[in-house]
Amino acid sequence: MADSPHEPEHSERTPPQHLAQRTGLSARVLGGGIEPDPRFTLANERTFLAWIRTALAFLAGGVALEAFAGDVFPVVVRTGLAVALLLIGMVIAAGATLRWIRLERAMRHSLPLPLPWIAPILAVGAAVATGVMLAVLLLP
Amino acid sequence: MSHPHIHPNDPGLQPERTTLAWNRTLMAFVIVAAFFLRWGNQQGVVVVGLFAVALAVALTIWTTQRNRYRQSVRAMRQPQGSPKVGSAIALGAAVVLLGAAGLVVISL
Repeated sequence: MADSPHEPEHSERTPPQHLAQRTGLSARVLGGGIEPDPRFTLANERTFLAWIRTALAFLAGGVALEAFAGDVFPVVVRTGLAVALLLIGMVIAAGATLRWIRLERAMRHSLPLPLPWIAPILAVGAAVATGVMLAVLLLP
Repeated sequence: MSHPHIHPNDPGLQPERTTLAWNRTLMAFVIVAAFFLRWGNQQGVVVVGLFAVALAVALTIWTTQRNRYRQSVRAMRQPQGSPKVGSAIALGAAVVLLGAAGLVVISL
């Protein structure tokens, strides 16, 4: 629990740093609040990047279907799957960015962290895409 | 110690791990760029634009790595958060744009 973002440790380490030090974009996006432990911000950044790579994997999957699958699938199925994968990638990328902002805001106000609604999208999207592919490949 | 701004000062190596995460993301963009290029077989020159954009994102991450690492090291030292608001929003927007452009290419 030492890394729990619910319990910022800044109060022991340093006087609260207020938003007055922020400028421009950061101030507008993050709003007010107290600076969290820098480790939490960096952990949030790495989590965001992991989601971005997940989104990129979906983009690559969609493009790969169009570029490599050829006649393995009927064209409608292939294009449908590729469009779905690209859409899921876009939703995950947008959701990851919003989630990163919401987490930064929550940490600055010691609020409970928001649930990751992109996680079920990832799970359902990957399951459906895989299911459709298996069905098309295995069914006569 | 000749570079106090980039000398690691955190036993958890948080800035280094974060910089490596950006590096992995950079490589993911290179891979996506390569896929776009391969797509050119069927879709023609239009995909070269997508290849160039994905590669440009990777190059931008590469050239800004040092800045972000310094920012993280400084944040650990103060200690204070170092939210990279501009980097995060630009990165998310780039992925959404690449996906949208891919949809456009499919619809051609």
